Amino acid sequence: MPTWMLIAKGAALRFTLGICALGLLRLLLLTALDMFAALRRAGDRRLPLGQIARQTLSWVAPLARLHRSRPAYSFASFMFHLGILFAGFFLVNHLDILKDLLGISWPSLPKPALDALTLAAIIGGAYLLLYRLYAASSRRLSKLSDYLLLVVILNILLSGYIAGRPWNSIPYDSLMLFHTLNGIALLLVMPFTKIAHCVLYPLIRLGSEIAWHFPPRGGEQVIHALYGPEGRKI
Amino acid sequence: MAVQSQTPSKTSARSPYFYHVEPPPAGEQTADGRVERFLNAFAAILRFSNYRFLMDLYARASAKCGRCAVSCQVYQATQDPQDVPCYRTNLLLDVYRRYFTNAGQWRGRLLGDSSLSEQKIDEMAQAFYRCTACRRCTLECPLGIDHGLVAHLGRYILSEAGIAPKGLVISVREQLEGKTGNTSAIPLPALLDNLEFLQDELEELKGVSVSFPVDQEGAEYIFFPAVSDYLMEADTLMGNAAVLQAAGVSWTIGSQYFDGINYGLFYNDWVLERIIQKLITEAHRLKVQKILIGECGHAARSARQFVPAFAGERSLPVVSILELTWQAVKDGRIHLDPTIVSERVTYHDPCNIARSGWIVEQPRQLLRSFVRDFVEMRPHGRENYCCGGGGGLVSLDETHDFRMQVSGRTKAEQIRASGAQIVATPCANCKKQLRELMDYYQLPVQIVGVHDLVLRAIQL
Repeated sequence: MPTWMLIAKGAALRFTLGICALGLLRLLLLTALDMFAALRRAGDRRLPLGQIARQTLSWVAPLARLHRSRPAYSFASFMFHLGILFAGFFLVNHLDILKDLLGISWPSLPKPALDALTLAAIIGGAYLLLYRLYAASSRRLSKLSDYLLLVVILNILLSGYIAGRPWNSIPYDSLMLFHTLNGIALLLVMPFTKIAHCVLYPLIRLGSEIAWHFPPRGGEQVIHALYGPEGRKI
Repeated sequence: MAVQSQTPSKTSARSPYFYHVEPPPAGEQTADGRVERFLNAFAAILRFSNYRFLMDLYARASAKCGRCAVSCQVYQATQDPQDVPCYRTNLLLDVYRRYFTNAGQWRGRLLGDSSLSEQKIDEMAQAFYRCTACRRCTLECPLGIDHGLVAHLGRYILSEAGIAPKGLVISVREQLEGKTGNTSAIPLPALLDNLEFLQDELEELKGVSVSFPVDQEGAEYIFFPAVSDYLMEADTLMGNAAVLQAAGVSWTIGSQYFDGINYGLFYNDWVLERIIQKLITEAHRLKVQKILIGECGHAARSARQFVPAFAGERSLPVVSILELTWQAVKDGRIHLDPTIVSERVTYHDPCNIARSGWIVEQPRQLLRSFVRDFVEMRPHGRENYCCGGGGGLVSLDETHDFRMQVSGRTKAEQIRASGAQIVATPCANCKKQLRELMDYYQLPVQIVGVHDLVLRAIQL
């Protein structure tokens, strides 16, 4: 059995998936508990839940919005996310590994469709990387980790895509080892980097709204903490 | 022809920033350095507020895609990466990550990494006030990060670290600790004289006696306009009074407190709550049922959003004069003559009541009911562009060049493109900014309140 398969079907991936799942679950639970506590402290606990849910859902499939702001970038980003989600969760090879490891599975999607989505994700991801490198507004925002994460994801997509192509001259097992190692690296860092937005996304708009619900006397307590019981003048 | 602009100098001779800073009063200053004061203020605010979980959430999830940039009128004008809302947000998130998370503290110990410096504080002090707090960028953030809220928090921390704009602090000092108790320093006798003058003017204009009731206990509404309206917006106030009388509404102005302005919304939550408590105290003194806010965007939003938050069981419903007037028109309680206003009119949405509030359609329907030639700017409503003076900037005269050449440029373009002769906007701050913009760009457009037009058309 090639090395990559030993990793993919062995304890390494099981351990990695465990870290990833528990890490993301921890983030989700901690955030939800913090939000609940913040809402309990708030003076006004009414929330426009319907409006928040609609806005959150509207960005899951933002097709009507992509053209409004940075259309090329937005479209690239959408294709990038779409490709990752579909290739990650619906490729038969991935589902076979999951079934071996955890005994769970769900229907896969046809490979040609996933190939097309993966290619779109590669093009989208490359655009995002180039944009981050060359657009001043984006470069100024970016740190090393922003580039590295994109590179790791592109490595996964590219190696997975090329490995299945008849014109590929790189040894299949080498590509798959590269693919597997990058995949494991990504799963490991997921809960500790901005990729955590994959699970925190549903809570962000709700959190932004809750944070506007200030607790009564919070400002006064801040003043007392900073200046003592006498407080301060304006 | 497009309006031309240049980026003004970011500094002035009196301050390292593009606004003047009011130092803390004598006796309130500490010996701590600015970095220490900033971190102490940040820590105290995180402990006693609801910002901590938000900082955690944003620090973990912010993808820094930068899609917010193109929705910001400041970035549109400067194309400066430092004006990208997400960049500004990450200035504060970096401090949070370094000093208030375990990972950041360990990194600091191991690598000696210190991300906060005097220079960084100056950068934040500049960046958080180059934002007009319009929150337009929140519409385009796929994740839902509220950069306006982070700018609000950044300004709050800075103010407790001793960096707050002089124009805002001096006004609030007079409102909360001064003799007159209002931001325009209008003594009560002067207010009463002014009300008498408005009453006489209104009688002369409409031939009907319309009263401005003061201290009427048990009235349905207590009325809080932006207090500057008493000095500068006579037509708006006469329009308000005419509507209230014609609609048969019982209302009163409070003699002990009559200012709707709440600059706390722009820079400090402690100030915000204290001003809300003044509204509530006066409303209960006069035993009214509801709070009515005049034509002022931030006053309406701050009261609507924070009276329930801070008043607890003493909370009262908050209504905007725009809601009330439109309801009175729908109910047939007031009649507006559709032949009077013949100019082309457009409506500017104050960000605080449109994007951050609940007033979008009411003023439009009201204006369409009697204005013959009503046009919209593009975009408008919740997607409107800020006038450029939001977040308190319009109250800082020294920011004039920035407001004209940078933050207000897009709005000037929009107004020019609309072809309107009149811009109606229900906000004292927006009106001041837009008048200065029209003057700066030499656009022959009149800036008025919605009730200025209502006053012209109302049949008494």
